[in-house]
Amino acid sequence: MIQYIIRRLLWAIPVLLAIMVVTFFLARAIPGGPFDFAGEKQLPESIRKNLERKYGLDRPMYEQLGKWIWDGIRFDFGPSYASRSQTVNDILKRTFPISFQLGFLALLFALLIGIPLGTIAAVKQNSPIDYGATFLAILGVSMPTMMIGPLLMWVFAITLGWLPTARWGTDYTQLYLGFFPNIFSAKFWLHAILPAITLGLAYSASIARLTRASLLQVIREDYIKTAYAKGLPARRTIIVHGLRNSLIPVATVLGPMFAGIVTGSLVVEQIFGIAGMGKYFVTAITNRDYPMIMGSVLVYSVLLVAANIVVDVSYAWLDPRIRYD
Amino acid sequence: MRLSKLAVVLLVSLMVWPVMGQVIMNRNLGTEPPSADPAISTDTTSIEIIEHMFLGLVDLDEVTMAPVPELATSWDVSEDGLTWTYHLRNDVYWVRYDTAVNRVLQETATLPDDAKLILSEPARELFVGKDADGNNYVVAQRADASGFFRLVSAYDVEYGVKRTLDPNTASDYSYVLYIIQGAYEANTADPTSPDFPALMDAIGVKALDAFTVQFTLIAPAGYFGQIASMWIARPQPKWAIDAYGDSWTEPGNIVTNGSYAMKSWIHNDSMVFVRNPYLPDDLWGGGNIDEVHCVMIVEESTAFAMYLNNELDTGGVPLSEMDRVKVDPVLSKELTIRPFPCTYYYGFITTKAPTNDVRVRKALSMTIDRQTLIDQVTKGEQLPANTFAGGSIFGNAALDPRIAPWALPEKLGGWGYDKALTEAQKLMAEAGYPDGAGLEIILMHNSGQGHAVIAQAVQAMWAKAFPKARFTIEVQEWKVYLTTISKETPVENMPNVYRLGWCQDYPDQNNWVHEVFNPTYGNNDPRMSPDDPQVGAAVAEFDRLTTLAGRLSDPEERQRLYFEAERLLCDEIVAIAPIYYYTQIALTKPWLTRHWHDTPHWDTWSIDAKLRAQMTGKG
Repeated sequence: MIQYIIRRLLWAIPVLLAIMVVTFFLARAIPGGPFDFAGEKQLPESIRKNLERKYGLDRPMYEQLGKWIWDGIRFDFGPSYASRSQTVNDILKRTFPISFQLGFLALLFALLIGIPLGTIAAVKQNSPIDYGATFLAILGVSMPTMMIGPLLMWVFAITLGWLPTARWGTDYTQLYLGFFPNIFSAKFWLHAILPAITLGLAYSASIARLTRASLLQVIREDYIKTAYAKGLPARRTIIVHGLRNSLIPVATVLGPMFAGIVTGSLVVEQIFGIAGMGKYFVTAITNRDYPMIMGSVLVYSVLLVAANIVVDVSYAWLDPRIRYD
Repeated sequence: MRLSKLAVVLLVSLMVWPVMGQVIMNRNLGTEPPSADPAISTDTTSIEIIEHMFLGLVDLDEVTMAPVPELATSWDVSEDGLTWTYHLRNDVYWVRYDTAVNRVLQETATLPDDAKLILSEPARELFVGKDADGNNYVVAQRADASGFFRLVSAYDVEYGVKRTLDPNTASDYSYVLYIIQGAYEANTADPTSPDFPALMDAIGVKALDAFTVQFTLIAPAGYFGQIASMWIARPQPKWAIDAYGDSWTEPGNIVTNGSYAMKSWIHNDSMVFVRNPYLPDDLWGGGNIDEVHCVMIVEESTAFAMYLNNELDTGGVPLSEMDRVKVDPVLSKELTIRPFPCTYYYGFITTKAPTNDVRVRKALSMTIDRQTLIDQVTKGEQLPANTFAGGSIFGNAALDPRIAPWALPEKLGGWGYDKALTEAQKLMAEAGYPDGAGLEIILMHNSGQGHAVIAQAVQAMWAKAFPKARFTIEVQEWKVYLTTISKETPVENMPNVYRLGWCQDYPDQNNWVHEVFNPTYGNNDPRMSPDDPQVGAAVAEFDRLTTLAGRLSDPEERQRLYFEAERLLCDEIVAIAPIYYYTQIALTKPWLTRHWHDTPHWDTWSIDAKLRAQMTGKG
């Protein structure tokens, strides 16, 4: 097992290097450079040259690529072109924890809703409960967050006044170990409820559908019938023996889902005015902010690769028949 | 147990006590300011915060846009208009918000023993001397036996202007200062070349003494007074910039001299500004706001919800809520709509068929029903535009029916749409496209809901006027779009019609018709050329007029030249179809009284805290 993990980690290195090179060329392939315009104003040639010199964009391509990769390896991306008093590392250090907190809560919500809902639907297959759960799941998948967010805000913050309207409930500069919020603060939880639900809802729906489909397959297996035949209570049979095995497909999608959700969502963060990193995946590209593109892509890639390794390892725990040697 | 609880309550109330009297305003900036550095900022959000942190040599009058004293109490212009001398006040301190003691402190300095006493009054003694490296002058007021407070001096202005022009600073807007002697040469020089320091020295900005700074220009530019008000020409704190580099604008590092100081800046989330207690009383605008708490909510509907929830004291209106706000009995009273110095326009590529024919361009401009567009689509009570520069710009001819009268409704003295439509159809037939037969026009805009609905409305108007023509809309992502319409793109890849807007950097036509459209010095996106077979002579004349007007100082003469330039641009060459002059749309809570500078001046705003407490049920 340890050997397997080490092998996977070593494989991650060429993968990440390839991502860096591809990102470099893709970023530069988009027409328009970072310093052609200020707002709607085309900048004079002389101004653009000054800016390009300052940020090393006047150097030969191979030199820029070399620096790009060297920056990526050290995880030090230099100043952001779009926000010149900050480095990309400053931005990532500040925004990633926030997105992670939000994403983690949303995923937790999605699992807590999705798995029980899917299980009930599977056990009571073709009953009104199943149809109700399936209906909810389809609704959750098809309602866009940009609709649910303002709706929830309107109902719970403006009309009822139970919850705060927007923004994140932690002091961004005072996180524990630079990462964790104060979970004993009511302010944190009150601010987290609406955005976490908004972000988690769509995920909970797909988790519920996946759980249902997979569990339906598992409960027809022989070993479940055996368990029933031996007189095991239905609840114990389903939860201990059925559910655990049916979670393999769920775990498989959970890896990429995790990497995606904790690196932030542009829409949810924008609706609730949360300073997460979701927006940088988009604005870095629209601004042609090369160092920021590199930073956000690498954070996402590293998380994705790591999450996939964890998922593969978890298979062995979920289904003891799976072995890595 | 009881007793300790009481003690806690007492202690807490003691801690809260001093805060209670503070008047706090909550404001949404709408976005993260890309910078707080006067030398490199270009956008309205950055400029709004810079306006409060850094005083300009002059400010612009709220109504007339004329320069009024700020740091400079007076200024003289030489007979030939080439030398501008500003006399600065001697009582403005550099301050810094000290995050250790949580308040604004005056910046201190150490002066050498040979510092010269330049002013001695009973209450103050001012000195000037060179700093430790012996290169820079420090002007300071004696604080106590050993210490000095730094004062804003002419040397700081000279440094600020030179820093903006230094190619190492890579300022986007340094070109606006090219009117200063030697500015262009220094800004475009290679900073590693041996003669670079000499070029920097040769820039025509010079501190004559501690409180007098002199600019030498390459031409008698009548608009230099406005340039002197801009953020790029403000004094900058050299010692702080040297110490912290690019991060000198972070809280705790940043040294300022304006009405508010930066207490905190959590990027992309919030900023807090506190009133600068050391600002001379007569520079304060008469407001009562001690702290301004800014958030950076991008989503308009969220900011609107926060405004309704009394979390913001002033805010905007999302387009989708506009109809509702106008009829709502409470919100309609809180709504202010006022002109804003930006113009939305469509440009014509004058080298691409069929918009290379002036008759086609004119007919297309005529058949944009601007008033209907404003009433049905943009809904912000914008004004229909017949010229490029709006009504607050020096030298404008906005709404003057002698220019492109077809763009104006009858109530403004124009033709009205019916007449415009008939004339346009005649012109189009003359150009060889009766009812638009054979006419193919590509209209391009950058992606964005607002631009899309305007383009669709215009397309429908054109299609109705010229039913046999084909009008195609193409959309591109912002930076791709800007590249497409720039000079380097071959004409076959260009659209016929493009969309852009322009907002003032300084309120003078030089910033408008000259910088944007002059065929020799400006952007000239429509690609006007003096060789044009139909309007070549007019283009040559436009080129001459806008160049000449920028070099004159007589206001009346300049006004006359710019009027003619606007007429050529919008009525004779028809390089653009101006569509509307922007408005600023704001909601203001009844307890907030505000002034309406184009760049907000918070120090002129007041909050009636009692009224707010009454109306919201909280303090």
